[in-house]
Amino acid sequence: MSELVLDVRDLVVRRDDLVAVRGVNLQVRAGQRVGVVGESGAGKSLTALAVMGLLQPGWRTEGQVLHDGVDLTKISDKAFSGRRGRTLSMVFQDPLSALNPTQRVGAQITGVLRRHTKVSREQARKAALDLLVQMRLPRPEQMLRAYPHELSGGQRQRIMIAIALACYPQLIIADEPTTALDVTVQKQVLRLLDGAVKERGSALLMITHDLPVIAAMCDHVLVMYGGRVVEEGPVGTVFRTPRHPYTKGLLESQPTLDNVELDGTNRLPSIPGSVPPLHAMPSGCAFRTRCGRADEQCATVPTLEGDGSRAACWHPEPVASTAGAR
Amino acid sequence: MSAVIVPGAIPTAATPRRRRRWNASLIVGLVMTGAFLVVAVLSLVWTPADPNQVAPRDRLLPFGSAGHLLGTDALGRDVASALMVGARTSIIVAAGAALLGLVLGTITGLIATSARPYVNETVMRGADILLSIPGVVFALVLAATIGAGVGSTIFALSVFFTPSFTRVVRAAALRVLEEDFVTAAQLYGRKRLFILARHVVPNIFSVMIVQFTLYFAVGILTEAGLSYLGVGVTRPDVSWGILLKEAQETVGVASPLAIWPGLAIVFAVLGLNILGDGLRDVLDPRLRGRKS
Amino acid sequence: MSTPIIEARGVGQTYKLARTKLFGRRERLAALSDVDFHAMPGEAVGLVGESGSGKSTLTRILVGQERPAAGVMAHNGRDVWRLDRAAHREFRRSVQVVLQNPRSSLDPRMRIGSSLVQPLRALRVETDPDARIREVLEQVGLGPDVLTKYPHEFSGGQLQRIAIARALMPHPKVVIADEPVSALDVSIQAQVLNLLKDLVAELGLTLVLIAHDLSVVAYTTSRVAVMSGGRIVETGRPAELFRNPTAPATQALVDSVLTVEDGLAGKALT
Repeated sequence: MSELVLDVRDLVVRRDDLVAVRGVNLQVRAGQRVGVVGESGAGKSLTALAVMGLLQPGWRTEGQVLHDGVDLTKISDKAFSGRRGRTLSMVFQDPLSALNPTQRVGAQITGVLRRHTKVSREQARKAALDLLVQMRLPRPEQMLRAYPHELSGGQRQRIMIAIALACYPQLIIADEPTTALDVTVQKQVLRLLDGAVKERGSALLMITHDLPVIAAMCDHVLVMYGGRVVEEGPVGTVFRTPRHPYTKGLLESQPTLDNVELDGTNRLPSIPGSVPPLHAMPSGCAFRTRCGRADEQCATVPTLEGDGSRAACWHPEPVASTAGAR
Repeated sequence: MSAVIVPGAIPTAATPRRRRRWNASLIVGLVMTGAFLVVAVLSLVWTPADPNQVAPRDRLLPFGSAGHLLGTDALGRDVASALMVGARTSIIVAAGAALLGLVLGTITGLIATSARPYVNETVMRGADILLSIPGVVFALVLAATIGAGVGSTIFALSVFFTPSFTRVVRAAALRVLEEDFVTAAQLYGRKRLFILARHVVPNIFSVMIVQFTLYFAVGILTEAGLSYLGVGVTRPDVSWGILLKEAQETVGVASPLAIWPGLAIVFAVLGLNILGDGLRDVLDPRLRGRKS
Repeated sequence: MSTPIIEARGVGQTYKLARTKLFGRRERLAALSDVDFHAMPGEAVGLVGESGSGKSTLTRILVGQERPAAGVMAHNGRDVWRLDRAAHREFRRSVQVVLQNPRSSLDPRMRIGSSLVQPLRALRVETDPDARIREVLEQVGLGPDVLTKYPHEFSGGQLQRIAIARALMPHPKVVIADEPVSALDVSIQAQVLNLLKDLVAELGLTLVLIAHDLSVVAYTTSRVAVMSGGRIVETGRPAELFRNPTAPATQALVDSVLTVEDGLAGKALT
């Protein structure tokens, strides 16, 4: 059992009386790949931002985020920025707004290196060059001097990944890293991220609404809905035999080549209704307004139960069911 | 310094945003601006005395004198009344100019969003030219040709305000014109004028209001400056700038005379600026979420 | 009926690039070359391609937003850029659009009821607005309580339904949906796609669905055109294109599809 690089305990994220994350427990071990899947309003992005200490003013946290021996929610901003980029780093969804538009790309990479490690300018430059090569970017020497707006979306995202990897962090958090990219570039970027993370032995926390991405990149998955974790477990187990009706609904409603009759005769089941707004989240099990099996018992919040994989549901799918991706 | 900039919009679009209707700036700003507006309106029906009434026997009475709560000036004129009427004049001049600037600036700003580049260039370069005329010089020229006074001060101020509004309105309008609902309206065959009036203006209205309050404040300051120089408002009209000018002569002897109009200006300008900030926070365009 | 209801014939489009030299001639970029695309009445057709393929340009030409530099854009056989005012209005009434970003496609300062009525007013459609609104809301599965609300009170999926409702108001024959589900959450995508399929089946609508995701198009349409480099490089039934892609662009699109099964089997990233 390798050590924990991230231990999130009972995390609550709120703004005044609006609670977006309601007690999330999440653990990432060294070298592990954990995925957090959920749609907008589920609280997954806020969870990531809370871990990174990047919540906007007005948002408060409760609970603990343990990493590298400290509780990240309790340390000062200054102490935190000493860690960001070094022991944990983040890849954001939109590379255009996450990279500094006025700074050359090479400088952004060497900047991180020189801030956190004691390398000389020459060593930093060489390391940056190596990273660009590892990211399979064309003409790396020239690329160092390029500005973000001169690059394509896929290239920018690879730069962001390079920056995130530069200091060999224990944990990389990727928040929808390929959502803003053209579909033909997605696989390339994921491939690179996968290889680089593996090579450095970093752990990965991947946050996305895109189930196939989680299936491709992660070994462990948490499904979030209404600010809570509703199911978690090894990816294979959860995706092949989902126990929570929401997970099952998600898997069945994606039009993918797996479930589309290519003559268009079938019908994609869809989850009725829509995600309730934060201020009108149902009490008890948040999913009960859209669930076919809800009853009075669901007015109480269910806890995560099960072995192998755990689901927070009073009426979970029977374990023997093969409903799911197939 | 981390090279990574945090993206702006984090709350997601699935949750309808609860807009905060009130904040501290808004309340403080409204109270301060309200106070000065009330005083100005009051001056229409009542002042303790006629601010232009000269009474040489009562000159330079100090603060708290009987019948003259804030004292009198070198010619015996009541300071409190002058301040009240001054508030009224400041509003007429500053708000008048800001309003004129708003209307003309909005029209020209919207014209400058046309699809024809030469139209836009003409309007914007015209705005640049107007903006490069120093306000004081222009006011001086006006004072020399048509005489100083409330009218010419309003005119002088609006020459500066209009092009500023043009720029602000144009920028905001261009952003709205990029939105899909404008494309949709175009596809229904709506004409440009309709789109500007019914779709663009309501969506830039908050920007216009905030700019108006801020230029109102600028107007008060500028009017004070121009009147101080003698090229703005002149007696028998009373303005805070004139009071400052007149008080200059008595600085050693009766310093409070300069302090009252100064304080009044600070109060009004501060109140308007705070109000503008508060309005901007409340009316800020909703942050856009990533996915719905 | 063998006349396509909308058709792009030999369409080409070029754009002038920004000046690179002060006195040089501005270069032209060929965004579309010799494109033939059509939809028969009642058909659901898909248009896919990655960014830069010319898909967006063709979409703008199909909806009549842009005039092609070459070729003809026809509605019921007539060139839409040569129509008189009444016929042009008829074209606009008959061909409606649903755009990608539901939050941007409705005026945030207008109530939903007001937004829905716009097409009728603008296109001078002679029909009772209230009755038509009720009809259309029912078709998209929304209740009349939405009419007095503002866009910011709704989720993306609901807004997209409202956008579809608005498109249906003037009794169109063709709905062109430009990436209608790309900005939506996964569980809502199915809802909206199902709605589009139902409308085609129940109302006999012609649907042109533009997307970058082959699975979305495969689910919703019966014929797909693949674009690349400003041209249509392949067309066919979705099943054919998936199993036997011939053009490299099609192959690239098929390859880029990530599925849960592949991911679980460890084959996704190879």
